[in-house]
Amino acid sequence: MASFTASSVSFSAVSCSFKQNKVSSLGKASLSFSGNGSSSRRLPALRFRVSCAAKPETVNKVVEIVRKQLALPNDRDVSGESKFATLGADSLDTVEIVMGLEEEFGISVEEESAQSITTVQDAADLIEKLLEKK
Amino acid sequence: MKLHCFERTFFHSSSSLTPIQLPSPMETHLWYVKPSEVKSGSLLNQYLDILPPCERENVLQMRGEELRKSALLARALVRTTIARYQINSHSNPRSLKFRKNLHGKPEVQWQFRDDQHPPPLHFNISHTTSLVACGVTTNAQIGIDVEEKHRSIKHNILSFARRYFSKHEVQFLAAISDPQVQRMEFIKLWTLKEAYVKALGKGFSGAPFKTFTIRFKGVMEGGFITLEDLSPKASEIVVDSFDDPADLTSNWQFSLLELANSHYAAICTEKHGAGSGKRNAPGKLTVWKTVPFLEDECVSGTAAVKIICGVQ
Repeated sequence: MASFTASSVSFSAVSCSFKQNKVSSLGKASLSFSGNGSSSRRLPALRFRVSCAAKPETVNKVVEIVRKQLALPNDRDVSGESKFATLGADSLDTVEIVMGLEEEFGISVEEESAQSITTVQDAADLIEKLLEKK
Repeated sequence: MKLHCFERTFFHSSSSLTPIQLPSPMETHLWYVKPSEVKSGSLLNQYLDILPPCERENVLQMRGEELRKSALLARALVRTTIARYQINSHSNPRSLKFRKNLHGKPEVQWQFRDDQHPPPLHFNISHTTSLVACGVTTNAQIGIDVEEKHRSIKHNILSFARRYFSKHEVQFLAAISDPQVQRMEFIKLWTLKEAYVKALGKGFSGAPFKTFTIRFKGVMEGGFITLEDLSPKASEIVVDSFDDPADLTSNWQFSLLELANSHYAAICTEKHGAGSGKRNAPGKLTVWKTVPFLEDECVSGTAAVKIICGVQ
């Protein structure tokens, strides 16, 4: 249940987050679980996504760039599942992040592709796709 | 995991919103909230209470208290603002439904009987963690963007501009020698470009930033004015698009303001009755600072609203 107390504004949502396991070196496909925080008492919805996931190093580099751009506190959890919007990235942040990725990886991202990136994983996957094309 | 039980004060939210008439066709209304001025836990609970479950979930998913608060205020602001206009007796912010157009631009999904024409109210919101704003027009597309004046840009301004802005805009920025001034002019330009893209409603890729130029134009036809010449009444902000035929971009008018001494706000609205050779009077803008359900203050003409360019 979410609540605001008079003294401090804080949310305590009932949320279960399943941290993504380290991508194993067995095969390229990975199953990612994401628990959905919900304010009702039903079980969190599990979403499955099968994707040819980018290498962990790529994801980590993206995480690094995102952390820097958004000046996130160290205890803010950022992983492949993290959505830019929920981390607080607005349009200018997103464009700066994309530019940071272009510089880091030596790629060029078109507006249509940039618009479709919503998570760290999306960005990492796009980067590897563009690197493959080079 | 923490579970908090809380007592909610049930509140007839619709009764505390001062009703207001829709803006006239040449007019824009701008409503804004400063999250720092909303401190009451019970008030924030009221805002949470008027949201449908999906919007509530979206708010709660935001990572960090500040982000959750501004996300909550953004939804509360848009619902309470539209409710004020009491379109077709929709005076309850809770009952409004929203949807996104083909390109993802939010719009109201009006519930009305018979085969009526949709009401002429248009809106657009923009938010930062420190200010949330909602613009409203009648019969005109609108896009707004707000940014903190002192927002830091991680990249070199000119590198960024060369990558994303048009050549003319890069030249404009490159001509500014003071880095502080350059950064602020960059932010103003960014908000104007964002407002234009949001007004068009075609998404970021529908009007890539490089394909159009925003510039300040003197009242004299064909005149370019320098930064020093800029004064609100003497100039106009115009957009030139490489993709659109010239006459389409003259359908848009811009205003640029400084809000609450802390933010730049750009507003882009559709112009009607634009004819070649006819000089259009700048539109009228009315600005309210609000804490929904609590208080509204009309701040037009006060120090909270400094018009940089475009409206009266």
